[in-house]
Amino acid sequence: MFANTLFLLSAALTVGGAFAVLWSKNLMHACIYLLASFFGVAGLYAVIGADFLAATQMVVYAGGVVILMLFSVMLTGGSSEKINRFGLEKIPAMGNKKTLFAAGFASFVAALIVLKILAQFIKHYDATPMTANLPTVERIGVVLATDHILAFEISSVLLLGALIGAAVISRPRREKND
Amino acid sequence: MNSTVASYFAQSKEFQAVVVFFTDLFGFDATSFVSFLLFGAVATIIVGAMATIGGLGTYAERKISADLQMRHGPNRVGPYGLLQFLADGVKMIMKEDITPKAADSFIFLIAPLLCLVGVFATLAVIPYSSGFILSDLNVGIFYLVGMASLVGVGIFLGGYASNSKWAMLGGMRGASQIISYEIPVTLSILAIVLLAGGMSMGTLISSQGGMPHEWNLFHNPFAFIGFFVYFIAALAETNRAPFDLPEAESELVSGYHTEYTGMRFAFFALAEYIEVFVVCAVAVALFLGGYKVPFELGSGQIFIDKIGMDAMIAKNIGNFLEIGSFMTKTLALYYVVIWVRWSLPRLRVDQLMTLCWKYLTPIALFNLVGIAVWMWLFDGASLFTLIFHSTGSAGGH
Repeated sequence: MFANTLFLLSAALTVGGAFAVLWSKNLMHACIYLLASFFGVAGLYAVIGADFLAATQMVVYAGGVVILMLFSVMLTGGSSEKINRFGLEKIPAMGNKKTLFAAGFASFVAALIVLKILAQFIKHYDATPMTANLPTVERIGVVLATDHILAFEISSVLLLGALIGAAVISRPRREKND
Repeated sequence: MNSTVASYFAQSKEFQAVVVFFTDLFGFDATSFVSFLLFGAVATIIVGAMATIGGLGTYAERKISADLQMRHGPNRVGPYGLLQFLADGVKMIMKEDITPKAADSFIFLIAPLLCLVGVFATLAVIPYSSGFILSDLNVGIFYLVGMASLVGVGIFLGGYASNSKWAMLGGMRGASQIISYEIPVTLSILAIVLLAGGMSMGTLISSQGGMPHEWNLFHNPFAFIGFFVYFIAALAETNRAPFDLPEAESELVSGYHTEYTGMRFAFFALAEYIEVFVVCAVAVALFLGGYKVPFELGSGQIFIDKIGMDAMIAKNIGNFLEIGSFMTKTLALYYVVIWVRWSLPRLRVDQLMTLCWKYLTPIALFNLVGIAVWMWLFDGASLFTLIFHSTGSAGGH
């Protein structure tokens, strides 16, 4: 019962946060709703006993990504004028009723197809009882360092590239000596 | 099942009696219901006690600063001015709650709450003693790092929502400082996780012993350096002087909480003082032996064997000794934090970033590699065992 309650709360937080992000007109508010949604996802991970994933979700998304988003929203600034000096609309329209309806219908059909494909797996899914919170850290570590070593290395190279790129960009340009 | 306060008290006869009572009353097995009640009660006690410690922290801050500056400090309300924080609290509640006209009222409301929630959530994994821990999560320390990062969001949003230049600058500084210093903090924690072989608070502490030579601090030279890296970076993460740039009163009036009044301001202050306690508690748990008491007094086994005491009473005595050991070390570090604040001048912003990125981060990385090499070379033996025992019989601590 406790796990069910936790699941419902987390799911409500996730979905509610995501909808609030869509409906909110204020970018900063949207960031906060996104934070709530991320917390809901962390809760979902916790419900299925993936404690390491839940904690990582909080460290990476709540701590890092949301703050970076807030920073970038603030640094890029905003202005009340929606049209820039070239007469172009700064914020491209998110669509009108027609496009939204078409997109909604298309995604509904796509979701039905995906569900149809997934149905055979879902139907034969036997709900295994929750393991007694076995530590997942060790298994994740072993799998990362053996089976998925390539993905691990590729992501580390990507991060290194981002680090060097940031250092190069933020470095003050040297005046050329004449 | 993780070890919690509930699983500790479940060993006692009284707990079983209460379970039997409720089982008869409801007609179903009431073990989890009683655990839930107990859990709620203990959580309330811990939050209340921590709020008091946060309040007393403000008192200690003023009293110690007064000592260091040859003043008296607060001495009117209650004995030695001890009740000053309650008087301040009453004053804060009575103040008018002002929201600036141009402020973003939704974020303005939610920012202090984010700070406080982030700090209180970390209390769930603080190990006060072997039995008195709300939840010994498998990812305890990692969870703590994740939750503490909410404080950064709160400070940043508080600065942004106030719509004031001082608050804005303070919030920006706070966020950038907290993000930057999270790296050396996490790296030093990671080094100790490597040493202990687990991320739960129980594992981290049980790898140490009660006597100073069994602490992780003196386990090897890298851990010794790591402690200071952690402590300096943690000071910066909690915005304490000499790193209190987000609220630098000589430049920014009061930083991110310039526009806050009354209880909302008090939330920020309370969050800061409790976070200092949490940071000190983590330092104690990771490096200074945690709740361990010398000669294995903490388990209470010696009372059972020598005096023939009842097992539960002996365990309770052991746990009280452990709480005492933990609190003594943590509050001693708390004193050092305040002491540092009133002794050192504030850093400049560029010096702050230089310290983090050019000194602390490389040193922390070096420590991480160093500890890994040490564990591989000496098979996890501490420096003490290497010197005083033959390597063959090492281990055991």
